[in-house]
Amino acid sequence: MDSCVNEPATAATAAPNPLRSLPDGAEFAALYEEHSKAVYYLALRFLADPQKAEDVTHDVFLKVYRKLGEFRGESSLRTWLYRITINHCQNLKQSWSNRNIVTTADDTVWNTTAAPAESPLRALETKELGERIQKTLEALTEEYRLLLLLVADEELSYDEVAALTEQTADAVRGKLHRARKAFAVHFAKTA
Amino acid sequence: MKQESKHRSQEQHQLSHSQRSTAREFASAEELLRHDAAQTQVPPVIAERLTQSIAKLPQQPRSWWQRWLKR
Repeated sequence: MDSCVNEPATAATAAPNPLRSLPDGAEFAALYEEHSKAVYYLALRFLADPQKAEDVTHDVFLKVYRKLGEFRGESSLRTWLYRITINHCQNLKQSWSNRNIVTTADDTVWNTTAAPAESPLRALETKELGERIQKTLEALTEEYRLLLLLVADEELSYDEVAALTEQTADAVRGKLHRARKAFAVHFAKTA
Repeated sequence: MKQESKHRSQEQHQLSHSQRSTAREFASAEELLRHDAAQTQVPPVIAERLTQSIAKLPQQPRSWWQRWLKR
């Protein structure tokens, strides 16, 4: 888990994507580069466990590699990826719940690795903010947490968020209002 | 609508107040999450693991997703 926190900031951008070494790898690598952050971030903040978020991201893209031919294009690729990710995360949470496991990762795992261009001071600020955001999201219901994370993705419309969460767009708007309010209240408590 | 604006204003005030210590201002929870997402880096180990996992898969017909991607 420390690797998530202490990874050299330049590692992600300096190394060539190993997926490009695969046969037909260029296209899949491009797809991964475009969408992996969205999948990883959703899993990270939804599950509150960096190691599990890594596993989910790996599993989602492996499934995509195998099943892309079955994608009918009835939704956007991003929506399809999110649907797989949400199902995977919810299955994991269900299995934890069934086994009565409570995650016990220490506070450092909530940290977000600083972007390459940031100064150390900025990195410290980012780390603190990441911890507060994670604690705030964990204080929310699973439904509010998921709604906020999905709506925060500007590539998704309300209709797409509604489809992903199996409700109407009006219901999303109504719940979003309450989710924002709950987020603001809990975020203030983390200060 | 006025009531909703009022609520949003109160929420934004609460967010702004609690974020003073980080010297950052965010207009909404979504904006804050977008900022957080932008700071998050996908661990490079995932692409490495994925490459290894895909290499172990049985050979698949080349045309199916190439055709889809090139549409």
